[in-house]
This record gives sequence, structure tokens and C-alpha cells, in this order.
Amino acid sequence: MTLESSVERKYLAKDFRSELKPIWCPGCGDFGVLQAVYRALAGIGRAPHEIAFVSGIGCSSRIPGYTTAYGFNSVHGRALPIAQGIKLANPELLVLVAGGDGDGFSIGGGHVPHAIRRNLDLTYIVMDNQIYGLTKGQLSPTSPRGLKTPTSEYGSFEDPVNPLLYVLAYGANFVAQGTPADMPGLAAIIEEAIRYPGFSFVNVQSPCVTYGEEEQQVKAHRAHMKTLESLGHDPADRLAAMGLAQAYGQELYTGVFYRNDTPAPTLDALARERQKTMAGQGLPRERILESFVQR
Amino acid sequence: MSQTRSIDYSTLSLRDALDLAILVEEEAKDRYEELASQMALHHNEESARFFRFMLQVESTHEHQLLERRRKLFGNKPSSVTRTMLFDVEAPDYDEVRATMTERQALETSLRAERKAFAFFDAALKSVTDPETHAFFTELRAEEADHEAKVAERLSRLPADPLITAEDVGDEPVAH
Repeated sequence: MTLESSVERKYLAKDFRSELKPIWCPGCGDFGVLQAVYRALAGIGRAPHEIAFVSGIGCSSRIPGYTTAYGFNSVHGRALPIAQGIKLANPELLVLVAGGDGDGFSIGGGHVPHAIRRNLDLTYIVMDNQIYGLTKGQLSPTSPRGLKTPTSEYGSFEDPVNPLLYVLAYGANFVAQGTPADMPGLAAIIEEAIRYPGFSFVNVQSPCVTYGEEEQQVKAHRAHMKTLESLGHDPADRLAAMGLAQAYGQELYTGVFYRNDTPAPTLDALARERQKTMAGQGLPRERILESFVQR
Repeated sequence: MSQTRSIDYSTLSLRDALDLAILVEEEAKDRYEELASQMALHHNEESARFFRFMLQVESTHEHQLLERRRKLFGNKPSSVTRTMLFDVEAPDYDEVRATMTERQALETSLRAERKAFAFFDAALKSVTDPETHAFFTELRAEEADHEAKVAERLSRLPADPLITAEDVGDEPVAH
């Protein structure tokens, strides 16, 4: 026997939960992110078969398999180009992209600016644990300076990539940050990002329980996180967002850093428009090749 | 950390309160199922067994509440959903470790029961409906009782050895 709900929700969080059991290390932050994704998707109300969830490679990139959406655990660092292709081919799909900080800001770092400037209607969730967990704890692009790992035995010399500043600098129109230490907040942020009409970016500080530092764990997040709302931040103020984003690594701010409420049309919308206006003007298939060949 | 959203306790009816309590038990049951599965995956059978036991306990509570709800309100649909509550009685995900001992598993449940007690205790401060107040008071007492039972079970366990799997074991294996 279960409760029948009168709340107008087409789908419940459990409708997005696949039968595959997550194999992350017990205590991993990604369990919380997954729950937040389920809840956000229930809030959105699209059917699982109307959602494509694309990821790269790494612990966090397993996430599509734990949902009932169409999933593609793709190639290291290449989740964004694949997701963009999917969205262009089938604009009706709700497309989510996920991966770790290594996937997004090291091997896949070159794809991020282009995804932002193309502005397809995608939501990119980076599960930022500041380490390469799957391969046993090497330095990642967001690891703090001085961190000792198997690849930085005496401490890292490098400053971390700042994911928030990175995407803001490239002109992302929706930038937010969350943590599994605040599940309602994280679910709400992901839902808002999905609803945003254009490229949206959510950095989730999702601790690695096995190789992460103590001060990066969920308990520490609970102790020192601050919501941007409580700071009186106006998400429409891009410069203020960039100022706050500079505290990445020192402060844990959660919420929406920047939201452009008058975004330009998305590339997928523009492509559809052009297809519509050019309908009937296309060359017959047999003449396409001729147009590329000089005679 | 237990949290709810979009629930106004000052206007909560007995039916909504019952539905909320059912969902709290359902969430805890699901979490224990997940934790048992996580422990089994990492060959930690002792902790898996305990989490399976807790899954049964929460499942029984859920059924009792569902039965009570059915008797009082029949099949009237619920206006409370799982998306409104977060980790009320369910242990937080970050509480567990692959190499945790049975004692640590029990301590995790103990903290979850305390968290549930604190939730009902805090909610009672806003509840105005007398029936709902009486019901939440009853649930709060039950949580205290559950906490006592887990604590009693914990007291029967031997202390953890000085060196545990956490000290000597390898990190969880990437699959």
C-alpha cells in the first residue's frame, strides 16, 4: 500500500531512479547530488524518455546510469560536445550534462567556452571534488595549491582553476553553486538551472570521501557554507558575481551567482528558425556535392 | 541534516501530518536499503546486516502508519510529497564509510533517530492543530524510544578493536 498523491506532479523522484545501484564509495558526496537530481527532475515534470543525460569519465560521470533518463557515459572530457550534438539533433530533448572537475576543466576544459558561447539549452553539472578519485587520488585542476597527492608528493605548486570565474568570464548566463550539505538548496538550484532557457552551469562541491581533505567533507560544508541570498547578493549583477566567485577555495557560497534574465536566443532555437525559413530552399540531395566542387 | 520545504506546520492537519510521517519512514527505509546495498558491495556484511535490520524496522513503522491513515482517512489523496522532505529520519549519506564497524553503523542510526526526534520537537513549536500536536508528540516519544533501543543494542556490542579495517584496509576499489 502506498500513498496516492493529490499534488500536481506528473512524476515522482523515484520515477527517475534506475535499478542500477550506485557503486560510489559509501559517504561520497555524489549520492546527495543524485538525490538532488531526482528531485529536480520530478519538479520539472518531463518524462524520463524525454531526457538525455550525458557524462564524461570519472566517478561522478556514472550518474546517468543511475537515472531512468537516456544516458550516455561517453568519452573523457567530451560530454559537452556530445550533449550539444544531441540537443541540435533533437531539440525537444531536455539535455543534462555531468562530470567531474577533471573531466570539465582539464581534459574537457577547451569545450566549456564553446558550449557557453554557442548557448545551447543545456544544463552542465560539475561535481567538483578537487581530486581524481577514480584513479586513486591524483592532483586535479581544482585541487588547492599545496595539496599532497601521489602526483604532487611534496605539495602542489599550482593554483586551482576557479570553475565559477572561468564560466562567468566566458559569458555564461546562468552560474550557480551547491553542495550536498544543503539538499533542498541543491535540488532547487538544479531545477532552476534546468528551467533556465540556455546554457546553465552548476558547480557542486561534492566531496571525495576517500581521497578528499577533511575540510572539504560534507560536515565541514555544513559548518561554513553561506547562501548568496543571505549575503544580499543580486544574481542579476554579473560583476558582483565575479567578485564573489573569486572566493572559490576559501569560502563556500551557495546559490545563484549570476542569472541573465534577458538571454540571447539559444543556438538550438536559432537553428530551428533557420531551418524553418530555409525550408524548401535546400538543394536536392544529388546537387549538394556539386556545390562544393569547383568546376 | 533534516530539512523540509513548502510545509507550513502551523496549518498542518492530522491527515497531512500522518502522510508526512509515512513519507519520513519511507525515506528512512529507502536510505537503509541503499546503505545496506553499499555495505554489501564493499563486503562489509556486519554493517549491511544491521542496515537491513533497520530497513525492516522502518518498513514496519511505515506499514503501521499507513494502516492508521487508511482507517482514519481512507484513500483520500495526500498533499505531501517526498520532495518536501530531506533526510528527516534517514541517516545522512556522509555518515557511512565502506570500512565502518557494526558499532559505527549503530552509531549512525542512533544519530538518525536523534535527528528525527529533533525534527518533531522543532515542528511541535509551530503546530497549532490539537490532533496534529498530539500525533507529533506521540511520534517524538517514539523516536526517543527508538533511540533508546538502538543505544541498548549498542551497549551490548564489544568495543571496536584498536586497529580497524579503516586503519589497514585499502581504499574502496574502483569498479
